[in-house]
Amino acid sequence: MAPIAPFNAAEISEKARRDLLLLLEGIRGKKNLVLEKGLAGSLNLLVKFSTLQEYGVDKPFFLENDNVDTSQRNVVFLARGEKAKTVMAVADQIKRLRRDSQIEHEFSIIWVPRRTMVSDQLLEEAGVLGEASVTEWPLFFVPLADDVFSLELDDAMSDLYLRKDPTSIYLSAKALMAQQQKHGLFPRIIGKGDNGKRLADLLVRMRTEVAAGESSDNSGPSFLGLTPSSTVDSLIIIDREVDFPTMLLTQLTYEGLIDEVFNITANQTEVDSSVVGGAPPQPGQTGSASSSMKRKVLIDPGDALYSTLRDSNFAVVGNLLNKAARRLQSSTERNQLAAKSTAELREFVAKLPGYQAEQASLKLHTSLAEEIIKFTRTDIFTRSLEVQQNIMSGADPTTQHDTISELIARDIPLPTILRLLCLESTTNAGMRHKDLETFKRAILQAYGPQHLLTLASLEKMNLLQPRGGVGLGTTPAAKPGSVTNYTPLRKSLRLWDDEVNEADPNDISYTFSGYAPLSVRLVQSLIQKHTLANLVKPSANPQAPAQANPLAQGLRLFDDAAKYVRGATFDERQAGAEKAGKARSTLAGSGHDKGKTTVVFYLGGVTRAEIAALRFVGGRLREGEGEGAGGRVVVCATGVVGGEGLVGCAVEGGRFKG
Amino acid sequence: MSKPTANWEKVGDKFYRKVQLYTAVFDQDLELGNYNVVGAPYSGAVAIYRDEDKVYTYRGNQAAKSSIDIYSCAGKLIRRINWDKGTIRALGWSEDEKLLVVTEDGTVRCYYGLQGDFVPFSLGHGAEEHGVQSCRFYSSGFVALLGNNHLISVSSYAEPRPKLLAVPPSDPVHSWAIIPPAYSLSRSVEVILAIGVTLYVVDATEAEDRNFSAGPFKHISVSPRGEFLAFYTEDGKVWVVSGDWSDKLSEYDSKVKTVPKDMQWCGSNAVALAWEDEVHLIGPRSVATKFYYDAWVHLLPDVDGLRLLTNDVCEYLQKVPDETVEVFRLGSESPAANLLEASSLLEQKSPKADDLIQLIRPSLGEAVDTCIKAAAHEFNIHWQKSLLKAASFGKSVLDLYSSDDFVDICDTLRVLNAVRFYEIGLPMSYEQYRRLTPEKLIERLTNRNEYLLALRIASYLHLPSSHIHEHWAQQKVRVSTDSEEEICALIVKKLHGKPGISFEEIARAANDEGRVRLATELLNYEPRAGKQVPLLLAMKEDTIALDKAIESGDTDLIFHVLLHLRKKLPLASFFRVINSRPVATALVESSALDQDRGLLKDLYYQDDRRLEGSNLLLTEALSQASLAPALDKLKLASKYLQDSRDAPSTFHRQALDETAKLLRLQEQFEKDLSPRDPAAAVGTSSFPGFLGLSANETIFQLLRQGHHKRAQKIQSEFKIPEKTYAWLRLRALVSARHWIELEELAKHKKSPIGWEPFFNEILAAGNTRVASIFIPKCTALGVAERVEMWTKCGLLVKAGEEAFKAKDRALLEDIRGKASGSATVEVERLLGMLPQKR
Repeated sequence: MAPIAPFNAAEISEKARRDLLLLLEGIRGKKNLVLEKGLAGSLNLLVKFSTLQEYGVDKPFFLENDNVDTSQRNVVFLARGEKAKTVMAVADQIKRLRRDSQIEHEFSIIWVPRRTMVSDQLLEEAGVLGEASVTEWPLFFVPLADDVFSLELDDAMSDLYLRKDPTSIYLSAKALMAQQQKHGLFPRIIGKGDNGKRLADLLVRMRTEVAAGESSDNSGPSFLGLTPSSTVDSLIIIDREVDFPTMLLTQLTYEGLIDEVFNITANQTEVDSSVVGGAPPQPGQTGSASSSMKRKVLIDPGDALYSTLRDSNFAVVGNLLNKAARRLQSSTERNQLAAKSTAELREFVAKLPGYQAEQASLKLHTSLAEEIIKFTRTDIFTRSLEVQQNIMSGADPTTQHDTISELIARDIPLPTILRLLCLESTTNAGMRHKDLETFKRAILQAYGPQHLLTLASLEKMNLLQPRGGVGLGTTPAAKPGSVTNYTPLRKSLRLWDDEVNEADPNDISYTFSGYAPLSVRLVQSLIQKHTLANLVKPSANPQAPAQANPLAQGLRLFDDAAKYVRGATFDERQAGAEKAGKARSTLAGSGHDKGKTTVVFYLGGVTRAEIAALRFVGGRLREGEGEGAGGRVVVCATGVVGGEGLVGCAVEGGRFKG
Repeated sequence: MSKPTANWEKVGDKFYRKVQLYTAVFDQDLELGNYNVVGAPYSGAVAIYRDEDKVYTYRGNQAAKSSIDIYSCAGKLIRRINWDKGTIRALGWSEDEKLLVVTEDGTVRCYYGLQGDFVPFSLGHGAEEHGVQSCRFYSSGFVALLGNNHLISVSSYAEPRPKLLAVPPSDPVHSWAIIPPAYSLSRSVEVILAIGVTLYVVDATEAEDRNFSAGPFKHISVSPRGEFLAFYTEDGKVWVVSGDWSDKLSEYDSKVKTVPKDMQWCGSNAVALAWEDEVHLIGPRSVATKFYYDAWVHLLPDVDGLRLLTNDVCEYLQKVPDETVEVFRLGSESPAANLLEASSLLEQKSPKADDLIQLIRPSLGEAVDTCIKAAAHEFNIHWQKSLLKAASFGKSVLDLYSSDDFVDICDTLRVLNAVRFYEIGLPMSYEQYRRLTPEKLIERLTNRNEYLLALRIASYLHLPSSHIHEHWAQQKVRVSTDSEEEICALIVKKLHGKPGISFEEIARAANDEGRVRLATELLNYEPRAGKQVPLLLAMKEDTIALDKAIESGDTDLIFHVLLHLRKKLPLASFFRVINSRPVATALVESSALDQDRGLLKDLYYQDDRRLEGSNLLLTEALSQASLAPALDKLKLASKYLQDSRDAPSTFHRQALDETAKLLRLQEQFEKDLSPRDPAAAVGTSSFPGFLGLSANETIFQLLRQGHHKRAQKIQSEFKIPEKTYAWLRLRALVSARHWIELEELAKHKKSPIGWEPFFNEILAAGNTRVASIFIPKCTALGVAERVEMWTKCGLLVKAGEEAFKAKDRALLEDIRGKASGSATVEVERLLGMLPQKR
């Protein structure tokens, strides 16, 4: 019996899709679908709109727009039920429809991912619970690629770090628990960060609760599910709080830069149609109207060309595109000329659609890359990148202050400035009190007084704070574990790599052209001990076997590093009943250590550059021999985010009105 | 032993058998004819209640009291529900043996677990005015017909949502039936109504006339799986139509003048008509057989057959399963029949047994299978044994045979025989058992308080027994008269450590019973924190509930408790409760930010969180639509901080005050520089407002419009650094294209930001001429950069001169490559003037 690979993208999306369609099928007749904007991306990934139409969806509306009309008797709401705000929005719209409409409507509410008691309570208070049939759609992980699973919780970051609301921790635990019940316990849960610890504790608690409540549900599969899995090696939880700087940096991989420039949500990006060419011409559309139109472009992880590009450093993307173009051209042309026999011709024609698709993809990515080059050539981009690189390589941050001040004076977008300032603060355990005040004043003057709130929020998130307490004159030595100390880490984990090779990367530092993301280094210190140990401290004798490096023993690397990183460190082993575990491993066959999956869960969100770095690590594992050979790395997160999003949740949107 | 075929009847070419399940079912005094009788699916309990339309003899006070009685099939009274709640219009069962009682006023009571407890709900949709006429039930819901022919469908009892179906014509309904959603084409419930001479099919959206003219139809019956429909016409004919209405399959003339009192399907193959003491069974191709009784008979349809109930006897009428026919049919030559024969010969030690085995050798495996299946379908224990023996004999002859089925059937038969025992009274057929599933069977036994049997079966079939234990404990808590300590000790002793026990449910039962202390005690044994919360709230243990909710980590639960507390407690004590619990405070803050700012303000005040309170006021100031109230709010925000002396507060306060100052200045500017003044509108098509801009933006706008004095005022008021000001002036002038002023600036000696930005910004704006003015001023730069700058301006000659001055031959040659026209000549000339190296 071959064990089913855990975290199977196709399986997870198929299940989510079936669940939703089943719910929709249960509502007879045509219906208007009102969905929360945050769910549109996931929905789009899972179900085509034409399929929804087959299931009777007439028109989609956004919950936020509050504009659902009365054209259909059935109105279906699809929203997340955790927040009182959303619940009230749903209730208000039901009330509005009921008041305004001539006909009697049938309301259905599908809560994602679960029906909450709060929603029931609020709906009841609003007097609409009795009118609506309420169901739930247990949508947890949305596969963004074969090895990337996201919960797509847009609010996770602001909830966790700004509002300290642990909802997303609970939902993450639920999602991971569901996977555990299917594929067995994670034999080991290890990680870093206070929220991460909370998540690990929750997982342990849920396990005992599931065991206690086991037979009350259907007992069959969960019985087996609660023994350690033989296919998963471990779950590594990284709390975003542990590694804010990586997120604040400008990502330099192709996918990362697309995200920085155009913003990717749920594998889709919106690009000005002048860049990628308009959508297929539609009748009745005037040329002038489309000139400033945004076009949605699907960034398809299945696209062969894109999958070679996405994780490369942007510096080499141009070359790759060039190569691809030449290959495509030669293969089409030569074939055309050389096609002599009909058999060859037929073969060529059969391949033609593939070529065309590739051509289209090539065209798209070339124009995207051109646009990104325009962006990276700007003075502002180079200046801010320079600041970032200097800070990360360990230069005295005060030397960068002039540049930052100048950038503020030049009125460049606020998020960019905030990213730089937060970067300095987070890498140096806060800013000097005087400097901080100067910058605060500068920001208020340059971007408006409403940002007093922005700055307060950033401080609350520990992104921008004075060094070591409020001007009490004490030494900057803060409580251990409350801030990350980068100075020893740079050395012990080799966070800065001067000999970075972008074209043919040999280390994850290529993703940021020098800086190796701390979070990924932590992961490496667990699953790629020898590689990392040799990187940090190359052994004197190159002929010595890799295993000989003393640094690679046990947990030393991780423990050493974790000392300097803020937040709690945790390491749980989950052993089930011994017999069952043994039985399972016998069932799974001989491949004990081979091909095990390591799940890396980013609580609070993961950046695309980190995904690229982890893919790089995973790729090494797959090819490599020795430790964890043939292993697979799966990235899970509450969402895929960037620095813009991180500071974005602090930025105050309002301004004074006259 | 009587022959197994003794109770068989041939209907057409098919056999039907009538299995006598129990005798002496009801008391002879019970006039079954005066009662309505409904049976739960899968041979479940039978509920009877007096039909109020019928007269009955007066028997004194005792019998006059009306009640709904629930019996087992064997006539054992399980529960009596006293009834004084109005006229019962319909009684029905759900698949999980919930009894539904629908009264005339549209109230539905759902009695669960065969107990006296019920959950009521109301049908609504005008049921109260028009009255419920009758109802039709299916496995998980029902449809009610109102006096005005409106149909109300309820599809779930857990959360009943009565829905009005499409409205049919309001003429009198002769009869009606439903197709359950599981078997209808549309996957939602469909109703067939006989109105006038035709039939209507009604679903949620439309009422469709099927255009029949043979009516009026007196009875309509839908086969268990919806594949056939049977109609009884007024002239005594039975029509059978396929479920999709496409074919009329048969027509049978009963030649009886009186309309039968009931018509039901027996499985999916035959239709039974029932008169008072006579039952006709009509098979396919319109052949029929008749049964006569000497007492009133009731039909209780089930998925694969029909239960017939009289005072004396409970019988089961079903089509004889194919395997059984194969084995037992008279003169059957099938291998299975031979195998059975062989096995009985073996028992008589006759050598013929072997001959027979050799005869059927090639199909022996099949014969064994058939015998096993026939045994499964058999009710008679003697024949079950014979068949299993035969199968066992047969498989011992076979070399290779998987005994899984055999073992499985043996297990199943043991269970079936146990529950068929008259004291239990669940006469299930094998088919019903399969469909009900063993888990549900155990649930049924538990509901009948047959704990021992339930536990035995659970352990025999390796099924979880937690529910049985829980049920037992709940029952114990409800009825036991022991002291609370003893009950608790007993329950804990028996159940502690068993997996899957929900102590919460037991505690809830105790709490419902009013034994609060016992409930608290029991709740301590519940391992799932989340589970305890709702009950704790019900028990008014609010703070414990909050702690448990936090422990569970489920924010929904925490929220739930908080909402509850917020409503219940005065504000001050509410804050006291959440104060010591950071998670709760965070949740309150986060939701209050969206919902209830006032609460948040109070919270910050209470906690003395001045900065945050002041920020909240700032947020409010931002949301004001006009300046005056915004300024007021700002003042408040600043005042909020006036007692705080620490550094952040001072900074904050200062910033707030500056904001107010800036806003006032902006207001002033707007007044002064409004578009009435034509000078202000220079270069701008519309007058840009100042309000809401930042200090820098204000300076930028002022400079753009040429109000240097005012801009400088802002600079000095807000101590804006010289560098920033220089940048702002540069950008403002460039964006307004005030080239002359820029050229003026070039005459200055020094610039705080150097001259390079001037060049870059102006070049970016496209004015190469003005840009080039600044090149010679960039003395800090190297030659190569300056050459590059000249080149960017298109002034190659100048670039050449620059390179020449520096005597850089390589650069000069580079420039030559780029040059064209007259510039080439000039560069050539310069090149020539450079002394050759080497």
